[in-house]
Amino acid sequence: MSEVRKPRDPVTGHIKALAKGFKYLIEPNRMTLDYPAETMKLPPNYRGFFTVDDVKCIGCSMCEMVCPPEAITMVPRIVGSGGKTLPAESAPQDQKAAKRTKRPVVNWGKCIFCYFCVDVCPVDAFRPTGVHDVAFYTDREYRPTYEEYLNPPEDPYKSSKKVVSKADKKRGVSYEPAP
Amino acid sequence: MMELIPLIIWLIQDLLYIVVFPGLVTILVLAIVIIWLERKIAAKVQMRFGPLWVSKRIGGALQSVADLLRFSFQEFIVPEKSDRWAFIVAPGLMFAFSMISLIFIPVGPYYSYLFPSYYTILFSVGMIIITPIFAILVGWSSDNKFSFIGALREAFLLISYEVPFLLSVASMIVLYRTFNYVDAVAYQFRGLPGLVLNPLAALTLLIVMIRTTGRFPFDITEADSELVMGLFTEYSALFFGIGMATPYVELYAFSLIFSLLFLGGWWPAPLYAHGPIMGLIIPGIVVVVKAFIVMALLVFLRAVYPRYRLDQAIRSGWSYVLLLSVLSVLLSFGEVMLLR
Amino acid sequence: MSEKVYNLEEAATLSPSGEKYIVLQIGPSHPGSGHMRLVVWLDGDIIVKVDPDIGFVHRTSEWLSERREWIKAVPIVERIMLPDTIHANLSYVLAVEKLLGIEPPPRAQYLRSLAAEINRITSHLYGIGIFGIFLGSSTVYMWAFGDREPFLDLMEMLTGARITYSYIIPGGVRWDMPNGFKERAETVLQYMERRLKDYEDIWVKNPVVQARTINVGVMKREDAISLGVVGPNLRASGVYYDTRKHKPYAAYKDLDFEVPVMKNGDAYDRLLIRVEEIKQSIRMIRQILKDIPEGKIIADNIYNQLNPVMKKVYEEKRRVMFPAYMIHLRPPPGEATSMVEAGRGEIFFYIKSTGDKYPYRFRWVTPSFRNLPFFTHVAVGHRLADLPAIYGSIDYFPPEADR
Repeated sequence: MSEVRKPRDPVTGHIKALAKGFKYLIEPNRMTLDYPAETMKLPPNYRGFFTVDDVKCIGCSMCEMVCPPEAITMVPRIVGSGGKTLPAESAPQDQKAAKRTKRPVVNWGKCIFCYFCVDVCPVDAFRPTGVHDVAFYTDREYRPTYEEYLNPPEDPYKSSKKVVSKADKKRGVSYEPAP
Repeated sequence: MMELIPLIIWLIQDLLYIVVFPGLVTILVLAIVIIWLERKIAAKVQMRFGPLWVSKRIGGALQSVADLLRFSFQEFIVPEKSDRWAFIVAPGLMFAFSMISLIFIPVGPYYSYLFPSYYTILFSVGMIIITPIFAILVGWSSDNKFSFIGALREAFLLISYEVPFLLSVASMIVLYRTFNYVDAVAYQFRGLPGLVLNPLAALTLLIVMIRTTGRFPFDITEADSELVMGLFTEYSALFFGIGMATPYVELYAFSLIFSLLFLGGWWPAPLYAHGPIMGLIIPGIVVVVKAFIVMALLVFLRAVYPRYRLDQAIRSGWSYVLLLSVLSVLLSFGEVMLLR
Repeated sequence: MSEKVYNLEEAATLSPSGEKYIVLQIGPSHPGSGHMRLVVWLDGDIIVKVDPDIGFVHRTSEWLSERREWIKAVPIVERIMLPDTIHANLSYVLAVEKLLGIEPPPRAQYLRSLAAEINRITSHLYGIGIFGIFLGSSTVYMWAFGDREPFLDLMEMLTGARITYSYIIPGGVRWDMPNGFKERAETVLQYMERRLKDYEDIWVKNPVVQARTINVGVMKREDAISLGVVGPNLRASGVYYDTRKHKPYAAYKDLDFEVPVMKNGDAYDRLLIRVEEIKQSIRMIRQILKDIPEGKIIADNIYNQLNPVMKKVYEEKRRVMFPAYMIHLRPPPGEATSMVEAGRGEIFFYIKSTGDKYPYRFRWVTPSFRNLPFFTHVAVGHRLADLPAIYGSIDYFPPEADR
C-alpha cells in the first residue's frame, strides 16, 4: 500500500486543490433539496407513520408484546357492525352479548419506527402511510386516541413540490418531479 | 459670502470622500456583500444552497443584514472576572483602527484634500499594523483560556508576518520612489502595473493579507475545533458582530492597498481628471471593484483549505515569506538600478 | 512534534490544579470535543497530558437489553452506533444465532454483507467528514455528508429507513433486494469512484492536509497491539488484522477483497486507509451484486412457522414477517460471543443465556472505546492544534464508546 502514500509536492497540490474548488464553483453539484418548498415523496416501503386496519385487526396484542420501546398500548373496544369497533364505553353495561376486543394505539413520542409491530401482525393489519415529516407541538398530540390513531398525521407539506430521488452517475443524487 | 461657496463645495466633497469612497457606507455595504458572497461561494463548492430564506428572490443577500439585526438585539454579557473596561473598549478600538487606515487610502487623484500628506502609504500601513494589538487586548481581557491562547497566537503571528508585510510594501516604495499612493498609481499609469513589475511583493502581500485577516488556511486564531471562537469566545451581541466584521474591514483595507500598489489603481479611468464624476466617482468605483475581486479571491480559499498549525504558520512566516519579501526588495532595487 | 518528550509517568502525577501548566477543559460543549470532555494540560503549546472524560452519553444499552426480550435488543444496539448501525445489529444477531443454532440461508448472508459494506462506506465518509471539519475544511465535511446521501438512499430502498435499519434478525434479513436495486447501486458506485478522485485533490493530497497529518499522532505497531487498538487504526499501524478475513462471518468467505495495511501509523495513514477501504467496499458490493444466489432470505425453521397470511406476504413482497416465535425467543442456556468488523473497528459481543426470555448477561465492547488510548498515549508531546487532527483521524464516536 506504499504506493498510495505518495505525498504530492506542494505546488502541484495547491494548484490541483484550487482548480478542483474552482471547478465546483463554476459547475456546482448541488445535492440539497430546497426544503420545504420541495419535499420528497417517500417510497412505498418507507418506514414512516403507520395506521391499523380497524376491520382486519383481531386484537391479539402481538404488536404490543414485540414493541421494543413499549410505545403500543392496547385499548379496549367492542366489535360493532361490519367489523368496525366502537369505544368500550359505548357498550351497555348489562349487555353481555357485546363482543369485547382490543385495538393498538401507538404513542408517537416513543415509537422508533422499527416496524416490528407491522411485521409481527398475524393478519398484516398495519398499513404504512408514507408520511414522515411531521412535527408535534404538544404532548397531547404525541399520544393519539384510537380514533385519532386511525387517521395518522397528514403530510404537512402537501402543497410543496414533490420530488423523488434518483441515482445519477454524475451528480450522485438527482431529484425528479414525483409521478 | 461668495468666498464661502468653494469652501462649502470642498466640505461636501470631503464628506463624500469619508462617507462614500472608500468610507463608511461602502465598507458597510461591502462587508455585508462579502460575507454573503463568502457563504455563497462556500455553499456552491460544497453542493448546497447557502443563505437563502431571508430574501429568497435575491439569493439570500439580506442574510447578513438579518444577522446584524439579531446581533443588535442580543444581550451583551460581560463576564464577571473580565477586565471590564478593556473588554468593552478593545473590540471598538480594533474596529476603529482598521477603519482609520481607510482614511489614508485614496481612491482617486483628489483624495489628498482630506489628508494632504505625502506619506499616505506609511500612515495606512501603520494604522493596519496597530489593529492586532487591540486583538491581543481583546483576548487578554476576556479571562478565558481559549481567548488567551487565541491572543497569544495572534501575537506570535503578528510578529512573524509584520516584517514580510513591511518589506513587501517597502519594495514597492523603493520601486515607485514615493510614499504616496497617488504617485504610485501614476507610476503604474506610465508603465506596467506593480503585479508585473514585482510579482514577489504581490505574492508576499497576498499571503500577509490572508494571514492578517484570518482567512483560510491561516485561520489560526479563531480555530474553532481548538479554541471555540478564539479571541471572541466570551463576546456576545453587537460586540461579537464587531469582532466578526473587523477582519472584513481589514480585508477591505488590504485589498485597496493591493489594488493601488499592484493592480494599477484606478486604471483604466484617467489618471488626473476634474469634477466629482471623473475625479472621484469613476476612479472610486474602479478601485473598489478591483478590491472586491481580490476579496472574493481570498474568501474563496475557505472552500479549498483546512488550516495550518500555529508553528507551521510561524515557521513559514520566518522562512519562505520572509525570504520572498527580501527577494522582492532586492528585485525592486535591481529594477530601479536597471531603469536608471 | 516537540523536541521535549513528556513521559506518561510524569503525566500521571499531574493534578487538575497544576500551576505550571494551562489546564484546558475541552468539552463537553465545545466545537471540537464531541459528546465528551478532554482535560488537556498544556506546557505553552505542547500537550503534557490528556485525560479523556467519557460517559456523557452513556445510555445503559446493556442494562436495557438485559431487561427486555431478545429481539428487542436489535434497535437498542443500533442506537449506540448511529453511523454504523448494521454492524451493531449484525454482531448482536450473530451471537444470538450461535445460541439458537440457526444458520441463515446464503442469500441472506450475501444481503447482510451487502448492507454491511454500504454501511461501511457511509461510516467512513462520516469519519472523513468529521476529520475535515476538525482541521477546518468545511468543504470536505459537506462533501462527505453529501456523498453519504446516495448510499443512504440505497439503504432506504433496501430497508425503508435511512439510519436505523433494524435489518438483520435471527435467521436472516427482513427484506429482499427490491427491483431496480442492482442498477441503482451500480450507478452510485460509479459516482463514488469518480468522487474519490475529487477527494484526492481537495483533501487527501492537499498540501495543507499533508502538513497537518503526516507524522502527527504516530501509533507504533507494538503500541497499537499492546494497547488493543482496533479496526482501521490498527491496520494503519501496520497490523494485518481484519475480522472479515480472519474470522469470516456473513458472506465474506466467498468474497475476494484485500485488507489495506499501512506502515507509518500516523494521522495521514489513518486517513488513507479509510479511503482505501471505501474502494475495497465498492469492489465487494460489485461482487455481491454479481454473485448473489437466489433463494430464501430467512432460515427454514423460521419460515416454516409463518402463518399463511405471512407466507403470502413473503411470496408477494419478499418481506419477512415475524412468527410469534420471534417475540418469545428463548435460546438454550449457554454463552456465545461474536466479532464483527464494523466501520471503526471490531465489535465484540458476549451473551449469556439461562434459557430465560431475557438475556442473562449482555456485554459488548465497541470499537471507539478501544481506540481511546490514542488520546492518553499518542497526543502527549504534540501541539494543541494536533489534538483535533488526532481526534479526527481515529474517527472516534463518543456515543459508541459510552454505550
